[in-house]
Amino acid sequence: MSLLDIQDLSIHFITENGEVKAVNGISLHVDEGRTLGLVGETGAGKTTTALGILRLVPEPGKILSGSITYKGEDILTMPEKDVQDLRGNEISMIFQDPMTALNPVMTVGDQIAEVINRHQHCSGVECQQRMLEILDKVGISSDRAKDYPHQFSGGMKQRIVIAIALACNPKLLLADEPTTALDVTIQAQVLRMINDLKKELGTAMLLITHDLGIVAESCDDVAIMYAGNIVEYGSVEAVFDHTAHPYTVGLFGSLPRLDVDVEFLSPIPGLMPDPINLPSGCPFHPRCKLATRECMEAMPEARELASDHIVRCHHAQQASDSGAVLGDPAYTPPPAMGAALKDEEAGQ
Amino acid sequence: MDAKEKMPPVEEAVEEKIPKKRSYFGEIWHRLKKNPVAMVCLVFLCVLILAVVFANFIAPYDYAEADLSLRFALPSAEHIMGCDEQGRDLFSRLLYGGRYSLMVALIAVAIGIVFGMVVGALCGFFGGGLDSVLMRLMDVIMAIPGLMLAICVSVALGSGVVNTALAIAVGTIPIIARQLRGSTLLIRSQEYIEAAQSFGEGYFRIIMRHVIPNTLAPIIVQASLYLGGSIMAIAGLSFLGLGVQPPTPEWGNILNTGLDYIYQFSTRWHVIVFPAMFIILTMLAFNLLGDGLRDAMDPRMRK
Amino acid sequence: MEHLLEAKELSKYYTTPNGPLHAVEQVSFTVDEKTTLGVVGESGCGKSTLGRVLVGLLDATGGDFFFEGENVTHPDKKKRKELRRKMQIIFQDPYSSLDPRMCVSDLIAEPLKALKLARGAELEKQVQELMDTVGLARRFAYSYPHELDGGRRQRIGIARALSVNPRFIVCDEPVSALDVSIQAQVLNLLKELQIEKGLTYVFITHNLSVVKHISHDILVMYCGCMVEKCPSKELFAQPLHPYTKGLLAAIPIPSLHVKKPDIVLSGEVTSPVNPKPGCRFAARCPYVSDLCKQEMPKPQELAPGHFVACHHAKEINSL
Repeated sequence: MSLLDIQDLSIHFITENGEVKAVNGISLHVDEGRTLGLVGETGAGKTTTALGILRLVPEPGKILSGSITYKGEDILTMPEKDVQDLRGNEISMIFQDPMTALNPVMTVGDQIAEVINRHQHCSGVECQQRMLEILDKVGISSDRAKDYPHQFSGGMKQRIVIAIALACNPKLLLADEPTTALDVTIQAQVLRMINDLKKELGTAMLLITHDLGIVAESCDDVAIMYAGNIVEYGSVEAVFDHTAHPYTVGLFGSLPRLDVDVEFLSPIPGLMPDPINLPSGCPFHPRCKLATRECMEAMPEARELASDHIVRCHHAQQASDSGAVLGDPAYTPPPAMGAALKDEEAGQ
Repeated sequence: MDAKEKMPPVEEAVEEKIPKKRSYFGEIWHRLKKNPVAMVCLVFLCVLILAVVFANFIAPYDYAEADLSLRFALPSAEHIMGCDEQGRDLFSRLLYGGRYSLMVALIAVAIGIVFGMVVGALCGFFGGGLDSVLMRLMDVIMAIPGLMLAICVSVALGSGVVNTALAIAVGTIPIIARQLRGSTLLIRSQEYIEAAQSFGEGYFRIIMRHVIPNTLAPIIVQASLYLGGSIMAIAGLSFLGLGVQPPTPEWGNILNTGLDYIYQFSTRWHVIVFPAMFIILTMLAFNLLGDGLRDAMDPRMRK
Repeated sequence: MEHLLEAKELSKYYTTPNGPLHAVEQVSFTVDEKTTLGVVGESGCGKSTLGRVLVGLLDATGGDFFFEGENVTHPDKKKRKELRRKMQIIFQDPYSSLDPRMCVSDLIAEPLKALKLARGAELEKQVQELMDTVGLARRFAYSYPHELDGGRRQRIGIARALSVNPRFIVCDEPVSALDVSIQAQVLNLLKELQIEKGLTYVFITHNLSVVKHISHDILVMYCGCMVEKCPSKELFAQPLHPYTKGLLAAIPIPSLHVKKPDIVLSGEVTSPVNPKPGCRFAARCPYVSDLCKQEMPKPQELAPGHFVACHHAKEINSL
């Protein structure tokens, strides 16, 4: 059984201007110890999904339907107190911006100890000990526990945020763009640290990102979101090497890449649809090269292309075939990167 | 090779309706029209101002015409708002009184805004020594209680519409300046100011075209609040013999006199209720209109 | 061939309460006409400051800067005005670089008005042409920035920069605030415009994939200093500076089949306020020696057109 199982989850925001359809019937599951990457552009509904899991969808958001099962229990029907016990303890979340996620007038040590104290009901001394342990794990020396957040750099702050998230040994970590606000070299450090800790602690993770590169490096499974729907879902190998949905193909084509040379990129034409007025049928059809009448009229069912690969598209097979034209990601490493590699070996 | 042909522009090439262009103020007016509350207030204020300006045609009696037999006469067909403690027609007095009160209050607020804005924008935009000197000066003015300051200024300048307005305005200048300085600092750091500089726009034009329009909205609401305050401040000055002299009427003055009879409210309510109503309705109308204007001036509120 | 742009030991210091902040330190480079120089670096490395010095929004503290063969480091007022027509800048944030109270056509007309290049009907015509050029539908002429998405807003920024018909444009992170699919549209537009109008770009970004896609040459900056400059292809095939190597290795690649060198740079960027003598990268460099801590390395040309500022570049790369 999966650790977390979401079935047919819909979350809408009821606003004055209409109903913002943020999440529209998504189903996904996270298995113990595995990492699921949730990929999509701004407004695809990634963060709303994560907040939904913690039952923290802000007003005027409403969870309309679906179930979120964590260890066999439905989070959506649990009493509020039980959900509070889950948050930060069994399931914890890392937010995007480390600059605002920490309380500026509390020492970082106290902030970590507070979470431990809230959930583990241990004595002060024990708390302190746990706090120092976890600080050590995220690579911050224990003598800095008495420092305030402003005394740390961005990357260090994110480490502290991660330390708070991991303080109670959660089973599931929801990471919402944890490295977007960081520089690449710092991002590399933090990602490596998250991956190492995840392995060490056996935590499962839902990693929300817009960067397919991060998915390739850190995730086991990936779900591609578009306009509140999961359009493609499967193991990283399946989705990256046998890309089937036209939107995913378009995403790969839009990326300028270090490993492939193209004169012009192949962007997806048009814009993300307005979540208040979603197009009929498949929400991607106005931007899709393969769209037919069928796409305009009916939302495609989720189809299983392989045991670990699900696609919501009427023309999935066709899109997969045209992938080569649009920049198929399945290619051999170009000489450029290979040379860099050799060079590196020589240098070391 | 024509690059355009290879990569068509993203915008779909449908037959487009190009909307008509409106001027800056046309746009504001267009948006204000859609706000019923603001429009009602606008109409009310227009009627009030016209009535006050043409008081000599509208008012049924002279403001100084006393008839002691009619002391505290209740509203009737002859005197629609009744008479005051000297038997003068209250409605006429309020119309004439509005001339002075409204004019002084409007001028005072205008002076306050203009000077406050200039000082605030300069300090916020240029900073440095100019900022320190001007803002300390503002702090000094702010440290003196408003009425005290007004008394000092009007003693020094003497009475008269502009002088009284100036006396009242002095107290509001530092408050507006401080607020505008804050918003200017914020806007100063926005990239569009830098962008304007990269096109070679001068400081004056940048302040006029980018800084002021973007800081004006909160000031307008603030200003509508000061209007009411100013009307009361005028009354305070008059009471001390520094504003207008009796028998010339003035709203604050009429209300103050009426308040002396608060203990006989059941029989003499009209000398309190009507002046208060004039002041409150005017303040409310200015305030709601200010609110509406702020929204109308912000294109982000456009639906 | 004469370079369109040449910077010689260009420096920019800011004064802070704790001492001078060396935002840009002795950066030298050349840019040929109709090419793109990519400037890459992490936040706080001085790349934006460099761009602003180039277009005259900031005054250089030291060094010289030549445009069309003329020294324009500290131009007089008349010259500055002339330069504003030849050099423009596209800003990073399409949200804060457009005045929220001006409509699209006024925004695009602003530079034309400010430099008195057109007025009346001619102005209107030019604005419409510019909107066509950058692919903005004419129905948006009287929309306000908040009504448009990031991609369209950035197109306004591009139209503004193009309006004065410049030869040279500094693009300061023009796509960082955009989603990938929109980012690709804007990148393509910038490339097309370069071909069509013969523009020269200095393209500032922290995204190495973007810079590789658009640039002919790349300048890598670290903490205000230039660490490496070479043709784009060469940088990715054979990075010589230890920082560039680490930077390249840090970029996640959206593919399962590329094996990257396994280096993760430790530590974080040191403060550029009152910097210690010596190489700025010394604190994080795996090859650091005593020499690095004492003396700032000068850029040396190790291969034709490939400049590296590292004392040990030769040994590290066994050249």
